[in-house]
Amino acid sequence: MSALSFGAGLTLRFPSPSPGKSDPEDVVTEEAGIRTSAGQTVRVTPLVQEEELVAQGAPVACLRDHPGMRFVAPMPGRVARIDLRPGRKLSQIVLFCEAGGDVLTHDAAGAESESGLRALMQKAGLWPWLRRRPFGGMPDSDERPAAIVVMAADTRPFAPDPRRALEGREEAFIRGLDALGVLTEGPVLVCSAPGPALLDRSLGKGRIREVECGPRHPQGLPGFRIHDLVPAKIETPVWDAHAEDVAALGELLSSGILPMRRLVSVAGAALREGRLVRTQPGADLRGLTNRFVMPGSHVVMSGSALDGHEAHWLAPRHRQVTVLPRAPARRTPHWLVSALTRSALPKPVIPTAALAQAFGAALPAAPFVRALSSGDSEAAIKLGLLSLLEEDVALADYVLGGEAQLAELLRGMLERIRTEFAA
Amino acid sequence: MMRGLWDRETVALMLLAAYLPLAALWVWFGGTDAVLRFGMAALVLVFWNLVFMLARAQPPSLAALVTALAIAMLAPEDLGAFRLALGISFGVVMGELVFGGWGRNVVNPATVALSFLGFGFPSFPWPDFVDPVAWAAIPTALIGIATGAMPAAVIAGALLVAVGATGIGLLPETALAAAGIVLVLLACDPVTSATTGLGRVLNGALYSGLVTLFAAGWTGAAPVQIAVAAALLTSLAAPVLDEAALALWVAKRRRRHGRN
Repeated sequence: MSALSFGAGLTLRFPSPSPGKSDPEDVVTEEAGIRTSAGQTVRVTPLVQEEELVAQGAPVACLRDHPGMRFVAPMPGRVARIDLRPGRKLSQIVLFCEAGGDVLTHDAAGAESESGLRALMQKAGLWPWLRRRPFGGMPDSDERPAAIVVMAADTRPFAPDPRRALEGREEAFIRGLDALGVLTEGPVLVCSAPGPALLDRSLGKGRIREVECGPRHPQGLPGFRIHDLVPAKIETPVWDAHAEDVAALGELLSSGILPMRRLVSVAGAALREGRLVRTQPGADLRGLTNRFVMPGSHVVMSGSALDGHEAHWLAPRHRQVTVLPRAPARRTPHWLVSALTRSALPKPVIPTAALAQAFGAALPAAPFVRALSSGDSEAAIKLGLLSLLEEDVALADYVLGGEAQLAELLRGMLERIRTEFAA
Repeated sequence: MMRGLWDRETVALMLLAAYLPLAALWVWFGGTDAVLRFGMAALVLVFWNLVFMLARAQPPSLAALVTALAIAMLAPEDLGAFRLALGISFGVVMGELVFGGWGRNVVNPATVALSFLGFGFPSFPWPDFVDPVAWAAIPTALIGIATGAMPAAVIAGALLVAVGATGIGLLPETALAAAGIVLVLLACDPVTSATTGLGRVLNGALYSGLVTLFAAGWTGAAPVQIAVAAALLTSLAAPVLDEAALALWVAKRRRRHGRN
């Protein structure tokens, strides 16, 4: 199967106006929301009051069971609303932008040691930009990963090119990589799209090195790279981070300020023109799209057309905004028709070449899908379930016409495995 | 939000498109008789699909037409309506519908029906194919592979062994035409053939190997009978081949990563 994986994956063509060739525009939206990634819940203690003025990078909330882990303001502003769900679970903290506010500078002095670096990353609000596998979500404060995979490639449709985000920040990127090398004893792997090398040589005594990944989706997803290079297991978690965030870590270490700009592409069929902007994490999606949307009902999503979700604020790790025309509400079918046809869901999946390519020919797709839909977690783990998250099966879900519900099945199985192993 | 194409019915449509050249030539040379057999098979299949939709809420599939074509083309001749209906009913109910419909079956319903008819009524002659119909298996396979609906590796494995066996004179040319048609109609079914890369190659190779074996040692058997028996045994072996291929894949990964 590995011999056939050359050129594996699919080339997806969705309609969208092109973003043009101009340089990315700096946009700070008037509002921003601090939120968690979809499906993640964290219990927080707010550190500010509503109406309070905060500097950029100032903590606005911390984890309840780990006060050192902070969520920070992505821009200088005024706290507008703090919404917590029952159990002090973070729903959203909304900030209004106040131009000309302060920027908080951290003391990066103690960051040579591992504990100092962890404390700095958690204090500066960079920790939520990391993600662990298996199970997803941000890593525990003291977890040591078996490897860290840094994604300098992204094959999602309309994803901004991480190389562009790294332009002029090469030194900071290298510094960030060195710092990540402190957090793990295993390798730090930089996955890059075909092109000039990002690292001249391997760093950190060969532990930090570059690997190339293919140009087609889903080859540039961290899940498949981890599956291929360093499979995650329950006792050996693997982290992944975006290259731009690693460069931000490098800048945090040199200047004490965590840069709050990320390269975000705005695309989709309901736009008049595509955009490439540098904006803050948690940016207001309406603020980014307002003047560029075609008239008519539309859906604004954080993330790509495949794995995104309708949202108000840009999710912590997302670098894409997709605007699609809202599909007209379907007429509910006659109850007899529903009773006769919709009860046998999810529909069976026929193994075709399309399915194999939707998994990048990286794993036996049909047995994996069968294991998922029959709830056979043992077989699924053998085939590499623990390295994957919902976003990795989003392409397969799309290709199969949305009836296989692989993302839900995968999440359900991961949760079941987590509770089994926690017990 | 956005949806791709490759749900179950699209695959069934692609399979139907692939079988068009084969079906067209078969009808061209078979005439009204062929159309009647196909209509009869389709009618029985539609009936049972309706029964299962009403009784168990299983949505029917267009793949029933593929099954109908395979049965109409390969079933023994002059059976009469009752025996044919009996065989098809057994095949489609026990082979497919009780498992939950197309996509959840473990054996191809057409293979089961044909084996049932072959074993049950051994005195009826198996059909013969004129050369153009047999050649039509090639465009069928090509369309199937190009759309991704048919497993290319099964055909590759089958061809590899068939070419080898013909080369050393084990596989007589008389069996080739029927073996080719049965290969695309029954052995290449994406649901019941093996699903892993290596498993598929083995699956195709096993099919050709069994055809060769039966052609050499089964005296008095018609070419279609040989091919159908080979297809039945191959589809029964497919899960084992898959299991072996998966075990190999897992072992390879464990050696490479020291973990799964």
